[in-house]
Amino acid sequence: MTTFGSLAIIALAALVHASFQLSVSVLTLLSGHAIGAKHSQAKVLRLTTSFVGGAGIMTLFILTFVSFVLTRVVGSSTPEYLWAIGSGLLMGVGIAVWAFYYRRQKGTSLWIPRSMAKYLSDRTKATKQSTEAFGLGLSSVIGELIFIAAPIVISALVLIHLQPVWQLVGVGIYTVISLFSLVVVWVLIGSGHTLSRIQRWREENKYFLQFAAGSGLLVLGFFVYVNQVLGPTLGGS
Amino acid sequence: MTLSVDIVKRGGKRPTESFEREKLHSSIVAACLSVRTPEGQAENIAHTVTDAVISWLELRPEVTSQDIRIIAGRHLKSHHPEAAYLYEQHRIVI
Repeated sequence: MTTFGSLAIIALAALVHASFQLSVSVLTLLSGHAIGAKHSQAKVLRLTTSFVGGAGIMTLFILTFVSFVLTRVVGSSTPEYLWAIGSGLLMGVGIAVWAFYYRRQKGTSLWIPRSMAKYLSDRTKATKQSTEAFGLGLSSVIGELIFIAAPIVISALVLIHLQPVWQLVGVGIYTVISLFSLVVVWVLIGSGHTLSRIQRWREENKYFLQFAAGSGLLVLGFFVYVNQVLGPTLGGS
Repeated sequence: MTLSVDIVKRGGKRPTESFEREKLHSSIVAACLSVRTPEGQAENIAHTVTDAVISWLELRPEVTSQDIRIIAGRHLKSHHPEAAYLYEQHRIVI
């Protein structure tokens, strides 16, 4: 695979990651509590910036950790069965996202363990300092690990085949793109848009977001399967 | 102000507690402020909505916290639909 092709896969995986909504939900809730508690706009911005920073750092850590583990386990040549597992994971999670991502009720409740949702909700309410907001950002990425595991694993599999410099570029691309939806909400809040408008948009378009995330995973899984499993097998026979 | 009405908490797992006007008032003020309503207006709306909920409560010995939320949301909607939307959404965002 060419460097450009590898980076394109990483970018698509990151875009799918960005379409997952748990961190956006927590950021919306955090802003609501901060504004409702009469904090100044500067403090609201500090809290939300720290949250986005925390989410970015945790994404970076998870991606580099998975890449490191894969490098130690498989070295520089990834066996085909690992690509097959990776693409299977992408397609499996894609179908699961299509079927289950949002709960069938009003609002934007997600199919994550309710204990995790309650923990994040309680922590959001208790967050007063930037360091707490940073920690909340870290936790929210862990909370959606069940969904982001597939794009992260496939990105890590692609990353370990790149030159060290391009690995850094790849990690950077993944982290920046995966924060896209968070940054959009952060900018909207910072520029004075009301939370009700943001939340209403999210609620009205939740099934589209669900469809887009699931489809993105399926397309990525199919592409990786054809490119890395089927291609070499047919080409080699 | 404390009414002699028992509030059954969500899911019935936590013990019941007595109604606290201030708690309801604060939550409505927070919802109004969240949609960037001026503080004075938020206080006024919260007073009106809290009074309406209290007069609804006076006829009932026991209600759930969810009932209070629904009634408060209904009254809030007539004063500030955007705040009512966020108030309603609060527990179903995540």
